[in-house]
Amino acid sequence: MNRQIRQLGIAMLLLFSLLFVRLNWVQVYTADELTANPLNTRRVVRDFGQQRGNIVTADGVVIAESVEVEGRFDRERRYVDGPLYSHVTGYFSFEFGATGVERTYNDELSGHSATQRFESFFDFFGDGDISADVSLTLDSQMQQAAANALGERRGSVVALDPRTGAVLAFYSWPTFDPNMISNTDLDAARAAKTALDGAPGEPLLTSAHRQVFPPGSTFKVITAISGLENGVVTATSPLFPEVVSYDLPLTNVSLQNFGGQVCGGDLAQSMARSCNTTFAQLGAEYLGPAPMTATAERFGFNDTPPFDIPLTAQSRFPNDYGVQLGVSDQTPPAPIVEGSSLLAQASIGQFDVRATPLQMALVAAGIANGGNIMEPHVVDRVIDNDGGEVLARVEAEVWRQAAVPGVAATTANLMVGVVESGTATSLARSGLTVGAKTGTAEVNAGADSQDTHAWVIAFAGPANATPELAIAVIVEAVPGGGQQTGGGTAAPLVAAMIDTHFNN
Amino acid sequence: MKAFFVGRHRRNGELVLILLGGLVTTGAYVLATAGRLSAIPANAAPFLGVVLGLFVAAHFVTRFLAPEADGLLLPLAGLLNGLGYVFIARLDVDLASQDSPSTLAAQQAVWTFLGVGLYSLTLLVVRRSRDLEQYRYILLFAGLGLLVLPLMPVFGQTINGSRIWVRFGPVNFQPGEFAKVALAIFFASYLVDKRELFLAGTWKLGPFRLPEPKHVAPVLLAWGVSLLVMISQKDLGTSLLFFMLFLIMLWVATERLAYLLSGLVLFMGGAYVAWTQFGHVQVRVDGWLNPWEDPRGGGYQVVEAQFGLASGGITGTGPGRGYPHRVPASSTDFIFSTVGEELGLLGATAVLIAFVLMIGSGLRAALGARRPFSKLLATGLTGLLGVQAFIIIAGVIRVLPLTGVTLPFMSYGGSSLLANYAILALIMRISDEQTDRPVDAPTAGRRRRPVTV
Repeated sequence: MNRQIRQLGIAMLLLFSLLFVRLNWVQVYTADELTANPLNTRRVVRDFGQQRGNIVTADGVVIAESVEVEGRFDRERRYVDGPLYSHVTGYFSFEFGATGVERTYNDELSGHSATQRFESFFDFFGDGDISADVSLTLDSQMQQAAANALGERRGSVVALDPRTGAVLAFYSWPTFDPNMISNTDLDAARAAKTALDGAPGEPLLTSAHRQVFPPGSTFKVITAISGLENGVVTATSPLFPEVVSYDLPLTNVSLQNFGGQVCGGDLAQSMARSCNTTFAQLGAEYLGPAPMTATAERFGFNDTPPFDIPLTAQSRFPNDYGVQLGVSDQTPPAPIVEGSSLLAQASIGQFDVRATPLQMALVAAGIANGGNIMEPHVVDRVIDNDGGEVLARVEAEVWRQAAVPGVAATTANLMVGVVESGTATSLARSGLTVGAKTGTAEVNAGADSQDTHAWVIAFAGPANATPELAIAVIVEAVPGGGQQTGGGTAAPLVAAMIDTHFNN
Repeated sequence: MKAFFVGRHRRNGELVLILLGGLVTTGAYVLATAGRLSAIPANAAPFLGVVLGLFVAAHFVTRFLAPEADGLLLPLAGLLNGLGYVFIARLDVDLASQDSPSTLAAQQAVWTFLGVGLYSLTLLVVRRSRDLEQYRYILLFAGLGLLVLPLMPVFGQTINGSRIWVRFGPVNFQPGEFAKVALAIFFASYLVDKRELFLAGTWKLGPFRLPEPKHVAPVLLAWGVSLLVMISQKDLGTSLLFFMLFLIMLWVATERLAYLLSGLVLFMGGAYVAWTQFGHVQVRVDGWLNPWEDPRGGGYQVVEAQFGLASGGITGTGPGRGYPHRVPASSTDFIFSTVGEELGLLGATAVLIAFVLMIGSGLRAALGARRPFSKLLATGLTGLLGVQAFIIIAGVIRVLPLTGVTLPFMSYGGSSLLANYAILALIMRISDEQTDRPVDAPTAGRRRRPVTV
């Protein structure tokens, strides 16, 4: 019997070795494959059901929180005042992933960033509260004021601190309720997403930074800067002709001033009155393609700003205007190229120039901040959930040295002139230095349509100090909406931002 | 007091291992709580006290009642039982819903106390393993009676599709768990008694020489009835377990490989017929061969167990950090996937090694036993533990079709725990008998007295 017992022992050992081999196969060799299997929802369910930190505004309003729910998932993401902040927070969905700050700061909110992982011994082993809160630079009153001022009109309001790049208001309409997509009722979430994808105005495609529009006359500040820094103009000379229209070079087409008015004079007068003829001529006959493109690109065109809300679109300034044909008869002479007529239109923010409202806010901010554009950001700091320790803070960083301080100061003065005696006099505020540039951009230049985007870019601050506020506002053209001017339609939104900021 | 000192060599080792096992169990308990709540459980110290107190008590019982017995078995059982309890307690939290708290852990704690009590009682009552031989027919009928009990109209309960439960006051229990011990004793006794006759082979059937039918009949009857009963109860795992127990004991008793091989052939045939005839068998086989064809139906449990094991990887998610409750029956049949998920390949392998050591110790007791009955009984009981552990682990990790049996000592389940502690006590008793109880413990390096059969 002993022989059989020993054989039995060997057989059992072999059988258990078989289990060990198989266990290696399942747990090691095919583990990645099993984990990646679409049927395997363990990892996503875990991440989705985990405690997730709050998102709070700069003034302490909780706008996204994690609440415990019954059912398949342990928790659900809830957004307080969802539609007001959805373009900043984004959504956190089981099926559609995360957008906005939910996406950029996913690791911190869920507690998976390296710092949080090693916070403490038991936090490392546990899935207790290792999540962190994200505190925004956004101010709830500014945001609410932007929403109130825009109402149910397509458009965007971007307000930021030019000294730091901290975004104070970031609102676009149409907006959406992120609660509907973050719903743990997955069928409802799917239906909501489908409906939003097909909704007019693309609410999920935040117009403040994911859509581009012709900037129109607001772009004239860049043409002015290019002229100033290349030494071809000063604020007071030369005097541009007082005309109704400008004959585009090499064509028999002429470019009209707004409303067919006579317009011209020095750079300051032309800026205040927003003379198309002056800036078209300045770009095409005094500067030429290379200087214009260089200045536009230094301000961030043809590049994507480093922004902590993902998927920011690139603003465009066309840089190919064909071969040189000769020189202009201005002093100093500028190259005349095949596309000089297009460059003339680009110089007033038409043709193929396209900008996001965020980009135009950065232009205003750069001018206000002595030529330095700071990296824009909506997140201020990451705070440990228990203890309130600051785990990370977003530092102010220079993104672009877009203009030298002298040029920036001159341009800022030109913009102050627009408020004092130009197209944006409604923005004058006693005790504040306010500079602005309006824009009324044709949706399709040359077409019969009269529909226009209304723009204003502006800065404001106490007298003799670096401005605290830079703003870009667009009220988008709607088909058949007719002509809406920057000074008439968009300026009240800027006024609301300035008043909210400085009256609190 | 003399008994206290003999065999102290083994007993002291046992005590050290029990202390280590208690520390491992408490460590796992602390980690599982920390994993869920990020805090050290308030009752960690009392928990350690109870675990140690219980198994140290069992140790002292052994010191007095079976001083020469193997020193590895009790610590191994304590470790597996302790780890199993930690995971059951950990699963309780996830399985509980708002209206009904899950109290499996509290029940398992009571069963563990009773199990250790039954272990002590068995050692106390069964002072000599050969005493059991005289009760062979009583045990045969007791075993068969226990098997039939769930089919009785008043007592029987059907839970999860198997009618293997008996309601006894407030508790449900599975009499089959005890029947297997009774029948193992009967088989051992009967086969040893009649093995000469089995070997004689006086009855010719074609080319085969078989033993006289009248000698084989009681064994075949006991085995056939028990199998029929269990098949009628749709309890595949226990049927397979009984079949393997019977084959192993027949093979070891007769020393004829032919019995084992022909038994296995018979089994294959029977399994094939069962597969073609019974829907519930087909479900299990399909779930084993092609779980991905119906991953949300028949293959669900196995597929989820694979996902759980895969998410554990080599080191595991950490106790309390995984999602083992997504696997149905995670605290009973599938507790191994819970261990694999949260302790990883390392922890699961440690459990495999614990079972291999347990089997090794049991078979060493069988080798050392001097009476054929004891030898065969130790083999059978060890076989029960080993085969049962193999069947369920193999089912969980898709080596075999899934047949629901408990993982000895680890799974939640009172009947299973009690029966396994009884088995443990019997193996310990046989292990204790292999020496002649010298006045003093054998000194290190001295060869043990050769054992003959």
